[in-house]
Amino acid sequence: MNYQTPSLRRALAADYAIGLMPPAARRRFEQLLLEDSELRAELSQWRESLASLTQSLPESPVPDRVWRGVTARIDPQTMQLPVKRPFWSWLRVTIATCSLVAAVTLSVIYNRDEVRYSATLRSADAQSWMSIEAHENYLKIKPLALAKIEKNRSLEMWVIPSDGKPVSLGVIPPGGDGEIKLGSAQKALIGESITLAISLEPEGGSPTGQPTGPVLYQGVLSAL
Amino acid sequence: MNGTTARRGLTSGCNRLVGPHDPIVWRKAIPIADTDQLKHLLAQCSLGDRRAFEALYRSVSPRLHGVALRFMGRPDLAEEVLQESFVRIWNNASRYQSQLSAPMTWMINITRNQAIDQLRKRRERPLSDLDAQMLVDDSPSAHEQLNSSRETTSLNRCLDELEGMQRQSITIAYFEGLSCSELAEHLSAPLGSVKSWIRRGMERLRRCLES
Repeated sequence: MNYQTPSLRRALAADYAIGLMPPAARRRFEQLLLEDSELRAELSQWRESLASLTQSLPESPVPDRVWRGVTARIDPQTMQLPVKRPFWSWLRVTIATCSLVAAVTLSVIYNRDEVRYSATLRSADAQSWMSIEAHENYLKIKPLALAKIEKNRSLEMWVIPSDGKPVSLGVIPPGGDGEIKLGSAQKALIGESITLAISLEPEGGSPTGQPTGPVLYQGVLSAL
Repeated sequence: MNGTTARRGLTSGCNRLVGPHDPIVWRKAIPIADTDQLKHLLAQCSLGDRRAFEALYRSVSPRLHGVALRFMGRPDLAEEVLQESFVRIWNNASRYQSQLSAPMTWMINITRNQAIDQLRKRRERPLSDLDAQMLVDDSPSAHEQLNSSRETTSLNRCLDELEGMQRQSITIAYFEGLSCSELAEHLSAPLGSVKSWIRRGMERLRRCLES
């Protein structure tokens, strides 16, 4: 479909704003929105017009329980991390110890698991959220701030090669701490001055193989 | 839509909460839903400022509650939608772009998306005749509701300018989240007509509001 005609762009944004698009068309349109700031502005204009339909609705007093519900939904997410179940904690320590032993052994044998590149991923407001260390076979992720992600969402890491089409590196483990293994095709894309980005996706990652949600954080790899 | 119309005082239900908190913040924040202030509060929320979030909540929740009630038609469902909307507002505050939309529009849109998700889930069971009847009856009453609390605004002039079917199909599409084919079914009209009512109606509404 030709998205360049101004009148068609305007009409499509109108359809999207009021909700007339079938699901497949919605997804395509959302993909376009990511790259097209003028289209985002067009959509905002429509939303502004439509929101006027609510202008005359009366205000309604809100029972206290709603605020309690809101805080209950927000607080556990910021406090969840320190609370770990003993079994998983034990399992984690064991796994961590095993991987450490394995890593040390391997590094003694091969001595090649050094950090090759690193990047700090920042949000649009320049806050640092994650540091990434690129090893030969995996990326190590260290959260610098606690991201609040809804339960049914995942963060997905992308490498953006010079041709601009993002390639998925995988979903960030919940909690933001961990590693992402690199396949041979992915390894070939990692290098100096390459951009890494993290987008918000449905749980388990993008269903389309391309980012569907907004890019929350990004950063550029530099050699150490 | 710039939120400046929402200058009514809060009801007792909310004022009860004021006591234990910082009274200075609330007295200033509650009645004023000024656009710049809302922008500032959202910016603070994106930095994780819970106090700003609470002030924002006190300021706009009665308005968003009214919106949620219009969508859901039932107090319990409206409260659920309102709660989830505020969770989203908090989680997504950093994604609000003040150059793109007014803060009230952004928050209303979040509330609408939540409400429509719920309405669609509930509609996965077939509509009963009664429900279907309510949907069709709904739009004139919505217009009456607009009429009843009407001040002379450009909005009302613009809504009046729409033809009956344009206004009705836009209102149902906006407030019920019906797809085009569902809408055609409920209005017993051809799909093409419904699409063109909505497209022309929206175009007219926007041009009128922008003029």
